[in-house]
Amino acid sequence: MMKKFLAVATAAMMVSSGILMAHTVAKKGMKADLVLMPKFLGILVFDQANQGAQEAHKELQNPGKLEFLGPTPENSVAGQIEILTTATTQGQDGIMISNNAGDQLAPAAKSARNKGMTVVTWDSPIPSAEGEQLFIAQVDFNETGTVMADMAMNIMGNAGGDFAVLSASPDAANQNAWIAAMKEALKAPKYSSLNLVDVVYGDDQSEKSYNQALALVDKYPNLKLIMAPTTVGIAAAAKAMQDEGLCDQVKTSGLGLPAEMVSYTMNDCAPEFALWSFVDLGYLSYYATYLIATGQMEGIPGETFKAGRMGYYNVEKDPTRAEGLRVLMGPFTVYDKSNVEAASN
Amino acid sequence: MNVIQGLRPEKLRELVLLILIALVLIVFSSVIENYLNARLFNRVSASVALMAVLAIGQTMVVLTRNIDLSVGSIVGFTAYFVGHQLSQYGDMHPMLAIFLAVGVGTLMGGINGILVAYCRIPSIIVTLGTMALYRTLLVEYSDAKTVLTVNLPRWLLDLPSLNLISFDRLHLRVLVVGMIVVVILFQIVLKYTSFGRKLYAIGSNPEAAKMAGFANQRMVLTAFLLCGALAGLTGFMFLARFGNITVVAGIGFELKSVAAVVVGGVNIFGGSGSAFGAFLGAVLIDLLENSLIRWLQISEFWRDALLGLLILISVATDSVIMKRFQLYWARKQARSSPET
Repeated sequence: MMKKFLAVATAAMMVSSGILMAHTVAKKGMKADLVLMPKFLGILVFDQANQGAQEAHKELQNPGKLEFLGPTPENSVAGQIEILTTATTQGQDGIMISNNAGDQLAPAAKSARNKGMTVVTWDSPIPSAEGEQLFIAQVDFNETGTVMADMAMNIMGNAGGDFAVLSASPDAANQNAWIAAMKEALKAPKYSSLNLVDVVYGDDQSEKSYNQALALVDKYPNLKLIMAPTTVGIAAAAKAMQDEGLCDQVKTSGLGLPAEMVSYTMNDCAPEFALWSFVDLGYLSYYATYLIATGQMEGIPGETFKAGRMGYYNVEKDPTRAEGLRVLMGPFTVYDKSNVEAASN
Repeated sequence: MNVIQGLRPEKLRELVLLILIALVLIVFSSVIENYLNARLFNRVSASVALMAVLAIGQTMVVLTRNIDLSVGSIVGFTAYFVGHQLSQYGDMHPMLAIFLAVGVGTLMGGINGILVAYCRIPSIIVTLGTMALYRTLLVEYSDAKTVLTVNLPRWLLDLPSLNLISFDRLHLRVLVVGMIVVVILFQIVLKYTSFGRKLYAIGSNPEAAKMAGFANQRMVLTAFLLCGALAGLTGFMFLARFGNITVVAGIGFELKSVAAVVVGGVNIFGGSGSAFGAFLGAVLIDLLENSLIRWLQISEFWRDALLGLLILISVATDSVIMKRFQLYWARKQARSSPET
């Protein structure tokens, strides 16, 4: 009996999917009005995510609308809640959120879900996962730790030495997780020569990050590297080292945007840094949201779907949060003199 | 005591600030190894350069019993606007770029000034509104693009590290010299010109100033224009210092400038204070900030709180000591006047 059922089930799966692996391939041309909401407007990476989403929108020939709506920088938290609430009232079919409001966004997200709207987060999730169906994670947090440790090793050489971390704010969940992952990675014997001396915070403000970077140099005379897992911090630190003529002594690395970092990589102030593609993140988020909003995918663990040019992705339980599901994008691109110029245009 | 007797209250306030700055230097040099060196001067001076210019603009407005909360947004907008123009027209003359920044700032300050002086809307309301308006204008204008270091002309990128004079490792940067020129210029304007004296008069007693036939409205407008112009200049310096400019540029500068002005002894209710005082206020705050981040024993979370506390203490001691001396000064005068 069981055998027969399995055989039927397998056959059905094979028929429906065409090949052995069960996965959803998007049907084009179905209508869904979607909203892409960044943390706030006016930042390059979010605009790049919008480019990716627009690309997917065209590719899928969605007759509905894709709107890019976000709050102004000084009104980010309240503005995000307002936009989500308005989108719900307007009867949008789905929204993609880079959450900057922590769990404060959860009530609005839950009421959106009750109205049948699809709620997907990307870049930054709702911590409790309440009201959120899926989180499109840019990279695996553990991988971030290893990538940073590897870059530190490459830059400082086998002799190693002192280095410090310049983070965003002390309560940024993603930053803290990355730093924790790096500390974990540093325990491996191959990184034993790397000595993390301090973690400081620049609050993602150019001015404060710049001053913090210089203070690190004064605090630790033997400092060889500043590792900044934030795009604002890494650019400010590199500029500070350049302005003070310290690039020979202290290098900068971390997570940065090629366009912002190209001059510092070429003049050896920041020989190596890493990032993921925000265009791809927007593209992938759009695919997942479109599939759920048009009823082609449920958004449950174990599902696999094809995201156009990027290939196949799985829905899985998010190991970095107590609740919630994620789709892991990855991987990192490490930039150096050989590829940074091409990527910066 | 004769020395103190000879000092005007404003001078005394400045003296107290200088003593506080010296005290901070002494305290931190005893807890931080290798604290007092050329680097400290280079770094604090380069960082003060921006805030001092902005604080002097704020002083103009505060002297007339007003406040300008939009300066942070003006700094952000001008930094972005000029950066954007320079990325497109890299051969623009440096002076033209500076004029452009000052011009845009003046225009924005002018809008504040007209609304406050002629439409009689309280400045805190007007500038709270324009703070959001100018920021939104920046968001719209930027179209989510960043001004990138790589597109800016070479001279601008080299400007922050350009030294006018160097003694050994002690550098006097061009931007710092520019700030000193602004401080001296405005100190002279406030102290020795009739415009400056009228600003004080309007701040200490607007009714009396009006009765005396001062063009109060035009004076307030001028104060806002000057504040906007200096915020524009700060925007230019911001661009030179940080290179990559996004829509968040200058957020929080309005409160920092107000803090520098208040610590610098400019009365928030108008009528007293000086450009030199605002400069000293900016120096004290920046010195505290730069020193606290180097003090290993203090955790990241306590630094902001400690900074706030130190600002409160410095203002409180300042005002307590000032009251004592003012009283002493008044009594001394009352006692000596019958003799003459």
